[in-house]
Amino acid sequence: MSASLERGRLTPLGWAGLVLGALIMIAPLAWTLLLSLKNNAELVGHSGAALHAPYTLENYAAIFGNSSTMRWLLNSAIVSLGTTAGVLVLASLAAYGFSRLEFPFRRTLFVIVLLGLAVPSQAVILPQHQLFAWLHLHNSYPGLILPGLVGPFGVFFMTTYMRGIPRELDEAAMLDGASRWTIFWKVILPLTVPAQSTLAVFTFLGTWNDYWWPLISATHSDMYTLTVGLAAAQMNYAQTSGLGYLMAQAVFASIPIFIVYIVFQKQIVSAMAGTAVR
Amino acid sequence: MARLELSDISKAYGETPVLDGVSLTMEPKEFIAFLGPSGSGKSTLLRIIAGLETLDEGEVRLDGERIDHLPPGKRGVAMVFQHYALYPHMSVRDNMAFGLKNAKVPRDEIETRVAEAARILEIETQLDKKPAQMSGGQRQRVAIGRAIVKHPKLFLLDEPLSNLDAALRMRTRIELAQLRHRVDAAFIMVTHDQAEAMTLADRIVVMNDRRIQQVGAPMEIYSRPANTFVARFVGSPAMTLAPASLVASAGPFATVRLGDGAEVETRVRGNALEGEGLQLGLRPESVAVAPAGAATTVGKVELVERLGERTLVYAHLADGLPVVAEDEGNSRVRVGETVGLRIDGSAAHLFDSAGIGHHAEAAA
Amino acid sequence: MSGARDWRGLLFVAPFLSLYALILVFPLFRGMWLSLNRVDLFGDGHFVGAGNYVRLARDPVFSTSLLNTFVLTLMIVPVLSVVALMLALALNNAGRGAALMRGIFFSSAVLSVTIVTLIWRFVLAPDAGLLGELWKSLGWQPLAFLSDPHLVLPALALTTIWWSLGLPMLLFLAGLQQIPRDMYEAAALDNASRWRTFWRITVPALRRTIVLVVMLQTAAQLQIFGQAQLLTAGGPSGASRTAVLFLFETAFGRWELGYASAAAEILFLIILAVTLTQYWATGRAQGER
Repeated sequence: MSASLERGRLTPLGWAGLVLGALIMIAPLAWTLLLSLKNNAELVGHSGAALHAPYTLENYAAIFGNSSTMRWLLNSAIVSLGTTAGVLVLASLAAYGFSRLEFPFRRTLFVIVLLGLAVPSQAVILPQHQLFAWLHLHNSYPGLILPGLVGPFGVFFMTTYMRGIPRELDEAAMLDGASRWTIFWKVILPLTVPAQSTLAVFTFLGTWNDYWWPLISATHSDMYTLTVGLAAAQMNYAQTSGLGYLMAQAVFASIPIFIVYIVFQKQIVSAMAGTAVR
Repeated sequence: MARLELSDISKAYGETPVLDGVSLTMEPKEFIAFLGPSGSGKSTLLRIIAGLETLDEGEVRLDGERIDHLPPGKRGVAMVFQHYALYPHMSVRDNMAFGLKNAKVPRDEIETRVAEAARILEIETQLDKKPAQMSGGQRQRVAIGRAIVKHPKLFLLDEPLSNLDAALRMRTRIELAQLRHRVDAAFIMVTHDQAEAMTLADRIVVMNDRRIQQVGAPMEIYSRPANTFVARFVGSPAMTLAPASLVASAGPFATVRLGDGAEVETRVRGNALEGEGLQLGLRPESVAVAPAGAATTVGKVELVERLGERTLVYAHLADGLPVVAEDEGNSRVRVGETVGLRIDGSAAHLFDSAGIGHHAEAAA
Repeated sequence: MSGARDWRGLLFVAPFLSLYALILVFPLFRGMWLSLNRVDLFGDGHFVGAGNYVRLARDPVFSTSLLNTFVLTLMIVPVLSVVALMLALALNNAGRGAALMRGIFFSSAVLSVTIVTLIWRFVLAPDAGLLGELWKSLGWQPLAFLSDPHLVLPALALTTIWWSLGLPMLLFLAGLQQIPRDMYEAAALDNASRWRTFWRITVPALRRTIVLVVMLQTAAQLQIFGQAQLLTAGGPSGASRTAVLFLFETAFGRWELGYASAAAEILFLIILAVTLTQYWATGRAQGER
């Protein structure tokens, strides 16, 4: 009765609103899909033609034949996977140190890492740009990967998780003659697998979708990630009339993300919800 | 032969002292219980022996060699944690083998030892399971197994029975007693439960307030407690301590008067005692419910606890002093009644103003 | 014994910390330094003290961009929070229909900003867009969302809301699931109406989540960039230029790194101030209860 508001039993009006809302959510996506399935020439001036047959897959074929889109895909994959692997390694090592080891300045250093969470990327992007220019790292994979490795979130997340592992396990392992490294590698790390997968998905998605740093650092079109390449294509649209092709690129760029989303739904949800349960 | 020596161990956490000059010498293959309330320092002492805490002053020696500066894995010591601390992601077999692998013991030796420990503890069928798939009692056996395979000189047990329900506790007590004889090592057990200490230990180390209060065999602790703390901590229900004053007595033994006027003749030598600040110590078995004529004093019954073979009667004397008396199993005593209590002074203890215990001499 | 251990712990945190120091801490302070200089592409700079900040204070382009950013944030955050909350309330049950709906409403959040702007460009565009077609089929003149200065900010807000529903909705769902059932049962026994139950039980119990959502979204929308750059390039005539877009154009369009750094520092301070104020204000209100 009165609990139904919270438990989601809706009035018919409520359901109607919900369905309407869902349609509004889907409509732009559907529109994009339809546009992508039309021959470019048909669409010039009459994009309404998207609502009628005939439909074709020629735009998608063109994508596979187009080396730059595929190159962008490759770049995105390398950068995202590289960043994810790097973050997992660095954050796990650091989190082990922060959560279980005693060393001088431990608390101070951890606070310094936490403070980094408050720093928006705009405050550091210009000096970072300069720095990477000095290091000649622009337009390279390391240049695209390195900035993604220093986000404090990974360390914070893994440290919080590791703190939940009982200290007694470390003590038992010490009595079992294990060194600090052995404890990390054989006892603690295997117990962090759920957190690792959540962090991995979170990092992968964030890096894949990143528009900010790759825009600034990758100025040669063959180093564009998919996100940046799509933006460039968008801006050049006026010079081309390939609306269908452009939309196909959008759909194409969405597919990897949707695959990751569907496969790793659980991790994504827990990563997002995890930030709430702090 | 494993022989542990603790010399003058002190430790503080920052400003707070936790151990104050603790010394002890163990006999080979002895089973010792560190008994005391929380905060007494017993767990800290155990952890210092294990190497999980550092000491500020003092030494720990095993078989004559100093071990207090060695890492925990190299001391020849094994520990069974209160909550077992089994590695959740490893099978039972791997849990037990972990320490041996770290010590680079050869593979077939590891297998032999694991099989042997599994046999002793009757967990052979569990070897490939993970801890989460096992019951509490089984997990404890795995924890013990993990300790056994290391062939340690010294076993450390941290509150081994606290986590178990009553039935399992009895069984585990028996198992621990049996284990003790099958294994060539000394045992130290930390507990706050005096019944556990009494049943399992060769000697009990009673600790309170950062210091050792008394060391001795269980019956000695029970019948000759060194001070009021030990007297009340060991034995359940606790010993009654009644404020008393010396009165003139005929022989060498002290006679005291209680707050309500009752007089009790003890068998404690009176010459060592002063008249002030004395307390008379009476265990329930020294106080019986008796008809008025044979009673030393009277008390009003507050609570009657029927245990089957005996009944505990909790009463108040006229001056308000609470007293525990024993009666037979089918006692008719009821709450609110005033009953006669006969105090048998021959087993009574006297505690002086410093709390030191003076005990009855046995009859010739 | 622990003496030897003490320093070795640093080995574990060193890899991360050294990168962190190099790529985050150093640039943070360098940025503050840059903001006090006139610097161009070739790195020759000279110290101007507060000169950049003074110039920013007098710069109508900058102040317009700040204004636009604030307006956008005010358009987006309340609507987003309310809609997300309503969705979470409506979808907080275990049925498959609800699960499907949750998936639909979350799906937009996994897309990158470039995909979203690509999609919405052709929803909003008057001649080629979905809304344009819809308007035309109804006999109306299509609205030029992206080229009308009065419509452009709402258009960006709409795009952003469509894009950002997923995360707040998830956070609210997580918060709702932590509310113990017996609170509702007690309310039912007390004959509370739906509305009352909502205001007196649900909202207070969700307090922390609401605060979190508002804080996160405010901080995020103050940094809004991609939508402005790609959909409108800040136009028409700067009507949709946001603060970060201003920063971007100044730094990578005109190569005035010092000036742009000053703008970045100001934005940083604004975000910090707003977040702290929100945190403090809600903390105080709670304490006063």
